[in-house]
Formats: sequence, C-alpha cells, structure tokens
Amino acid sequence: MGELELRVAVRGQRSFAEHQYHRGALRVLRPHYLDDSGQVCYVVVNPGGAYLGADLVLLDIEVQESASLLLTTQSATKVYRTPGSFAEQRMAVRLGEGARLELMPDQLIAYREASYRQRTSVTLRPSSSLVMTEVVTPGWSPDGAAFRYEEVRLRNDIRVETDGGSQLLALDNLLIRPPLGDVGGLGFMDGYSHLGSLVVVDARVDQELADELHGLTAGFDALTGISLTRPAAGVAGLVLRSLSHSTDELNRLLRSCTDLLRGRWYGQGPLDLRKH
Amino acid sequence: MSSFQLALQQLTDSALPTGAFAHSLGFETYVDAGVVADEAGFGLWLSAFVAQSLTYSDGLAVRLLYEGVELGELDGLLSASLLPRQVREASVKMGGRLLEIGAEVFPSPALDLYRGLVAAGRAAGHQPLAFAVVARSLGVPLQEALAAYLFATVTSLTQNAVRAIPLGQNAGQRVLRAAHDDVAAAIDTIGRLTPDDLGAVSPGLEISQMRHERQRARMFMS
Repeated sequence: MGELELRVAVRGQRSFAEHQYHRGALRVLRPHYLDDSGQVCYVVVNPGGAYLGADLVLLDIEVQESASLLLTTQSATKVYRTPGSFAEQRMAVRLGEGARLELMPDQLIAYREASYRQRTSVTLRPSSSLVMTEVVTPGWSPDGAAFRYEEVRLRNDIRVETDGGSQLLALDNLLIRPPLGDVGGLGFMDGYSHLGSLVVVDARVDQELADELHGLTAGFDALTGISLTRPAAGVAGLVLRSLSHSTDELNRLLRSCTDLLRGRWYGQGPLDLRKH
Repeated sequence: MSSFQLALQQLTDSALPTGAFAHSLGFETYVDAGVVADEAGFGLWLSAFVAQSLTYSDGLAVRLLYEGVELGELDGLLSASLLPRQVREASVKMGGRLLEIGAEVFPSPALDLYRGLVAAGRAAGHQPLAFAVVARSLGVPLQEALAAYLFATVTSLTQNAVRAIPLGQNAGQRVLRAAHDDVAAAIDTIGRLTPDDLGAVSPGLEISQMRHERQRARMFMS
C-alpha cells in the first residue's frame, strides 16, 4: 500500500507544492526547477522498486489555477508476479483554470505472471493543459520471451468540467491479456513489441497540430496513428498511439512531440530529465 | 416464426441504407500497406476486428443497454472511447441513418427518447445503440440481437473487401462462413466482460483506423 498526495499552487511565477503527503511505498524527491519557466518538477519514487500482488497505490494530484507541474518517475514501473491477484495504481488528477500538467512516467514492465491495473482519472477545466505519455513494454520473463505476463490494464478517463457540469472527453482504455491469444499478431500489436501513447488536452489542439505531430513521427522506426477526440466544452484532445520495437525509440518519438509543444506553447527548451 | 424474425432480417439486411458500403473501419489501411491482400489476410483481419472492436466496443455497448445502463451515459462513453475520429464519425453517421429508418418502420417510445437526446445535442446517436434500442423494442433477446448485429457488420465489411481487395464472390462467402465461429466466440466473451472493459480495443486496429485519415488514395470514408 502506498499513498501520495500533491497539491501544487503558484506564487509569483513559481509553482510549488502547497501540500504534500506520502505514506507507505511511495514518496517524491525534492522538487526541481529544470528551467526558468516556474514549472515545478516532481519525481515519484517507489523505494520498494516494484509492485507485488495485491499492492494498491493511490496518487492524488491537484494542480491549482495557473500552476504548472511536471510529474515523472525515477525509474521504470515494474510489476512482479502477482499470483491469483493483481497490483493496482489509481491516480486522481484535478487541474484548475490555466493549470498545466505534464505526466511523463517511465515505461511499464510487467514480469512473468504479473497482473497490473492502472486507472487515471483526470478532471480539468477548458483552460487547463494536459500532456500525458506512457510506454508499455512486452514485459520480462526469465527465458527472454515477450508477453509472458497475465494482464495489463491501463485506463485513462478525462473529463472537462465547467460551471455547467462535466463531460467525458476521452476514455483511453488499453487491455492486454497475453494468455488469451496472439497479442503480437495482426490487428493487435501488428508484429511490434512496444506500445507508446500520448494524450494532449488543450484549447490549442486542432487538426493542424495533429497533422504536424503525425509528420514528426514519420522520422521514427514506429507505426503511429494520431486522431482528435470528440470536442467537449470547446476543448478537443488528441491521442497518439505508436507501436515500435524498443522503449528508447518510443521515448524519442514521444519526446519529439512533447518538446514541440513545450517550445511552441511555453517557450521552454527540450525536456532533459538527466540534469538531476 | 418468432414475432421479430422478419423485422430483424430487415434491420440487418446489407441493403439497409445506412451507408455501410462506404466504411472499411480500418481494413483499407492494411490493404494499402500490403498486409491484407487476399482471402486469408482479410480473414485474419476480420477475426481480430470481431474479437476487438465488435466485442469490446459495439457488442458490450449493446449488452449494457439491454442491462439497463442509461442511454445518454452509454452514448457518451462510446463518443469518448472511439478514439479514431473516422470510426467515431462512422458510428454516428450510420447510427443517425438507423435512427431515421427505425422511426419510419419500427417506432417505439425508447427510440423517440434516443432521437430526442440526439436532437437536443445531448447524445451523438451511435450505431450499436440505435440498433439495440430498436431490437430491444421489438422483443429480440440479447443473444439474438448480438448475433444479428455482429454478423450484419461482418457481412457488410466482407462485401466491401470483395470489392476493394478484390476477392472473388465465393471467397467472400467462405470468409463469412469462417466468421461464424468468431461471432459465436465474441458473443460468449461479451457476456463475460465488465463495464470497465468498454472501448478496450487493440492498439493495432486503432492505429490503422487513425492512419486511414492520412492515407492518400482511398475508397472508403473510414
């Protein structure tokens, strides 16, 4: 069991954690400021190194009005064997007016006989800005074979909230259950081993941006698709999915997209997390 | 003869003017890439499509409607979870036609309710839900409704593949016969899913459906 609460506010131009609480198998490193934008960066650490059966991890993240948070992890999320059970991460995210979150965890590695469920529920305002990435590997097994885990279930739901109520903008649901069939094959992973995804919700997202990002992805050894979500409360989102053969290639591809947004929307340089 | 048999045949006839002939729902991307080029290749794609899109999205939506989940909520879940834009638009386009045809030939209070939600902008009007509302109002049991819906979709996709790849007419019939087992397995799976599974379609199919937006030469709208 692990719990993490983080509430980020802004004072002057600088974002900071106004409230922070952790218990059990989760904590954060001291905050970093990677540039002079005022965006605060927190790194989530799992001191145990991995999730086990029946582990439940709860994260509660709030970014208040006009504040900006970059949330990442120290290392890959590893899920060991979970016989007869599953490990679970539930994350609730709330973004205020003009608030910004970049959620960029390291890759997920599910070991042989592991089951893992991750549920991320985001509520944001039409003026908020959300960027989230994810990389799912084929997992790890002693004999080196791919897809030996039991189940990986990743579910993101994103709601846009206005004073008149809230509307579901995107439900991004991924379920991989290797014991049920050939997940590497046609129509599932199409011969690839690694999956990357990017979700962007921001009032500035439009078809032109989606096309531009799709153009960027052409330079990578990956099969990529990008589409706009339904609109809700005047906001649209875009979802990118990409299949490739390595975590590094997907990270480079996803980073080229997120760096473009950082530069264009915030005048920030490319993200370099190795600085700390 | 059951009271709904002819109605169901009319609803699932490939001549029903919903515009299904204009949608490949992603297989044209595989054809363009040379991955699907013959009867065997299309059969593989169709099996994946039945086991993924028709199971986790359309089929589960039909089941949840039959189980009484609120129509507006289900409609919103479909709009949010159909991430490839062309597939979402195809569902709404064909759903809209089905709502119109239903109002002409199989009117019911439930159908009026759905049409009202769509007219008020509170629902999009998705094909599987429009079908489920009509089928349920006709007294069609869930299993029969699922079999009819899934096989009708399989049939129109196969007819489209016969034209587009192209396949011979007999090859098309063999593909359809082979799909019987896929449809039966899908109905079995749909019965065991949880509401949380809605929209959990495989990444490969979703990427092909997204890539279709940018394909240069195409016969189909999706």
